[in-house]
Amino acid sequence: MNFKKYLIALAASVVLVSCSSDDNRDTPDISQAFDNGTFVLNEGNSNVSSASVTFIGDDGTVQQDIYNTVNPGKPGLGSYLQSMFFTDDLAFIISGSANKVTVVNRHTFEFVANVDTNFSSPRYGVVANGKAYITNYADFNIGTDDFLTVINLSDYSTSKIPLNNWSEKITEENGKLYIFNGFYGNGTSVTVFNPTNNTVENTIALGDSPDSFDEEDGILYVLGDTKLIKINIAANSVTSAIDLPENLHGSAHLIVEDNKIYFTNGTSVYSMALNATTAPAAPLFSYTSTSPYGGMYGFNVEDDKIYIAEGGDFASDSEVYTYSLTGTLLNTYEAGVGPNGFYFN
Amino acid sequence: MTLKKLFLPLLLLLCQTLLAQQDSIVQLKEVIITDTQLQNFSGTQSVQAINDSVINTNAASLTSLLNYNTVIYFKENGLGMVSSPSFRGTTAQQTAVIWNGININSQLNGQTDFNTITTRDFDAVTVRAGGGSVIYGSSAIGGSIHLDNKVSFGQKFSNEFRVNYGSFNTQGYHYKTNIGTDRFSASVSITRNSSDNDYDYANGGTNINGQYYNTSVNAVAAYKLNAKNRLTFYSYLFDGERHFSLIFPSEVKTKYRDANTRNLLEWAGNYGKFTSKLKAAFLQEEYKYYPNIENPGFTYGRVESVIAKYDLLFKAGEKFKINTVFDFMQNKGFGSDIINKTRHIGGASILASHNLTDRFMYEAGLRKEATSNYESPLLYSAGVKFKAATFYTVKLNTSKNFRIPTFNDLYWQDGGNTELTPETSWQAELGNAFTFGNLTFSFTGYYIKLTDMLRWVPTGGIWRPMNTDKVTTSGIEVIAAYKKAFGTHVFEINGTYGYTSSKDENTDKQLIYVPYHKGTAGLSYGFKKFSAYAQVLYNGEVFTRTDNDSRYNINSYTTANAGVAYNFGKINTYTLGGQVLNLADTDYVSVDSRPLPGRNYTMYLTIKF
Repeated sequence: MNFKKYLIALAASVVLVSCSSDDNRDTPDISQAFDNGTFVLNEGNSNVSSASVTFIGDDGTVQQDIYNTVNPGKPGLGSYLQSMFFTDDLAFIISGSANKVTVVNRHTFEFVANVDTNFSSPRYGVVANGKAYITNYADFNIGTDDFLTVINLSDYSTSKIPLNNWSEKITEENGKLYIFNGFYGNGTSVTVFNPTNNTVENTIALGDSPDSFDEEDGILYVLGDTKLIKINIAANSVTSAIDLPENLHGSAHLIVEDNKIYFTNGTSVYSMALNATTAPAAPLFSYTSTSPYGGMYGFNVEDDKIYIAEGGDFASDSEVYTYSLTGTLLNTYEAGVGPNGFYFN
Repeated sequence: MTLKKLFLPLLLLLCQTLLAQQDSIVQLKEVIITDTQLQNFSGTQSVQAINDSVINTNAASLTSLLNYNTVIYFKENGLGMVSSPSFRGTTAQQTAVIWNGININSQLNGQTDFNTITTRDFDAVTVRAGGGSVIYGSSAIGGSIHLDNKVSFGQKFSNEFRVNYGSFNTQGYHYKTNIGTDRFSASVSITRNSSDNDYDYANGGTNINGQYYNTSVNAVAAYKLNAKNRLTFYSYLFDGERHFSLIFPSEVKTKYRDANTRNLLEWAGNYGKFTSKLKAAFLQEEYKYYPNIENPGFTYGRVESVIAKYDLLFKAGEKFKINTVFDFMQNKGFGSDIINKTRHIGGASILASHNLTDRFMYEAGLRKEATSNYESPLLYSAGVKFKAATFYTVKLNTSKNFRIPTFNDLYWQDGGNTELTPETSWQAELGNAFTFGNLTFSFTGYYIKLTDMLRWVPTGGIWRPMNTDKVTTSGIEVIAAYKKAFGTHVFEINGTYGYTSSKDENTDKQLIYVPYHKGTAGLSYGFKKFSAYAQVLYNGEVFTRTDNDSRYNINSYTTANAGVAYNFGKINTYTLGGQVLNLADTDYVSVDSRPLPGRNYTMYLTIKF
């Protein structure tokens, strides 16, 4: 995962900051208010005030709607918050309906910039070479109009690069952008894009529509509709694929953590060894969704904890859960409307 | 305003020439409204008629008229944008809009957008609270709104022209003519409304992409074949385009077009104790949604409906009436997002009312529909009315009503669910009506138990409608009116208040966008040719979250309008009026993040000749 790299940098800064804060414990230093914990992105609904970011501190404290709390009077986040991505110091929050990205300081969540040009249903983003690259669907029914928005992080100016293919999740590896061309069954490849000359260098055919991915030791693990595919990044080619049994078709949320692959199907969590050659027969654990319709809306694994977001009814605040790696419920936290992702800070 | 400067003298010239034609004799005889059930079978429920002068002083949209004069709550996505009512705590699909006796709620989404109805096209607007499915079919749960045209015979020729101009380049033009002989009667009304609708928000910012225009024509023609038989034709055309305003300037600009036609032909025969009416109606509704106004592409939906109805009324004197109605409806749905389907619904109703004594009456009705799409419940209504004292009448009514699944609910791609059943309600109300001289006052308590409420919920990747919810609603409504004349000074005071508790049974939480409190008050004053009015609206705070988290509530608000008018005419009417809307410049929203305009102004001129 991309922001793992930043975590290393962050770990260093946490040490530094925590030293300085020892001197004035009575007045918590805002400069590190959100450094130790997890952001929960709450998608929201058509009411813009329903979209928010919840912060769960490592000490278990929960703060709701941190953006509006820290930034009264600043431009709103928009709604249908799709995803977040990060640099060492910045967090980018993408709103699909407002066609904009709100940039905040990732440590304090203070407003930095409102970027609202050259977007059309933005989805996911990544930073490379001092620029942010964000995928856009434009018309949801057409793949050929999908494009990248490039934000120059020195002045937040933007430009557009057409991609001519379904463009969804995106990551950066070895200076190249990997754009996953899957959109609800459409698109069955990964585009390798060179951001230095803005050209598509390669298109890796998957034979399956990618849902999610993670990177570990030079390998991209890609979860498709019916297969689990490994891509060798150095060679930009598929090295192997595991056919998933029918009951695991349509699985989601692939995460690689501590030499294990985790993914979900319905409200079940599955795990398998990185080098396994067959799909797991039984789930690691299942949980009972309190909502009949919004189970497993978000998922992640970090530091021996499994994070699960309940979509709820998408019209009121919902919950997120942490589980141990063996499936024991550790904690339940209140979140906002339609929590859909966890980002570790 | 240059347009107006040019326009006014032109109008005045025009009228001078028309003055010569002032030879018409206005003789109002029998006034015919085709929706006779509203008169005959609504005795045990609360019925509020909104008179001409109130219709004329309010803004042209049905939203504005009802918002300021009834207990019905509206949420409006900004001025002129999509407007949904909540009547007695119900959803927009649970309020029926009845045009000359025909239910015109959309077959696609089940509701009427109250900003697509221009009130000036109608002679009477009536609010009938409570259950009415026995008469009006689907959606008459919270109540029904009746838009009626009156037909009267006799020599007449009258014309009315109205022009209004106001803030945000809001323009309205309305022309209406009535022509009549002893055997023939016709009236035609044409209305055009438009606005740039680019009002400023109190916190900075402007309403971007909110412009709209619409044109409507409403025509009625009646011909007496002989002493017993009459043919009447009603026609209503509406064509409008609205851009949908943005919350963030970076949002994609969208727009929406509505094109609706409604035609109704009626053959009425009076044969002694029997009145027979054969009706044929053809309705077409169409929307086009442009998801990006820069592109020509759009999605659309269209339903063509054919309705045949036979209505036989038997009157044994004035005391006993029995009415049978057989109807058949075919709806053909087309669209870019629905499976093209044809639906047939057959129905039969029987209604009876009996004035047992001068003080006691009762009424009852039964209706059953049959269709292949879903199981239709037996609908009923029963009520009694007792005049306990000269000043006091008590009414009790109970009914079972329903709201049928719409084409979108059943056939939307992806997500439509053909396994749906209608929402059904059981409801009861107790009304108390008081009359003390010039003061009329009613106090009504009601209870609605709704099951199988449809809600679109996410199921995996897609949203689908499900019969998920049960809702219990109870509330009270107060309606008061007082009129008093001191010499040539005439005062009228009107007020309404509604308390609404509408709870999801599973969670025991109040439904979102249903205020506990809503109130309206109006005061009008007339002195010879001068008139003035003021009106106030109070909307209590509403929840926007199903868990009733008060942090996200929309605040209560109070807004007021006031206006004056003067009639300069000697023979004809030349009324010049001015209005101030949102007098106190209140900063408010009725829907989250959708500000409504601050103080703004309208001027109008009405000429009758």
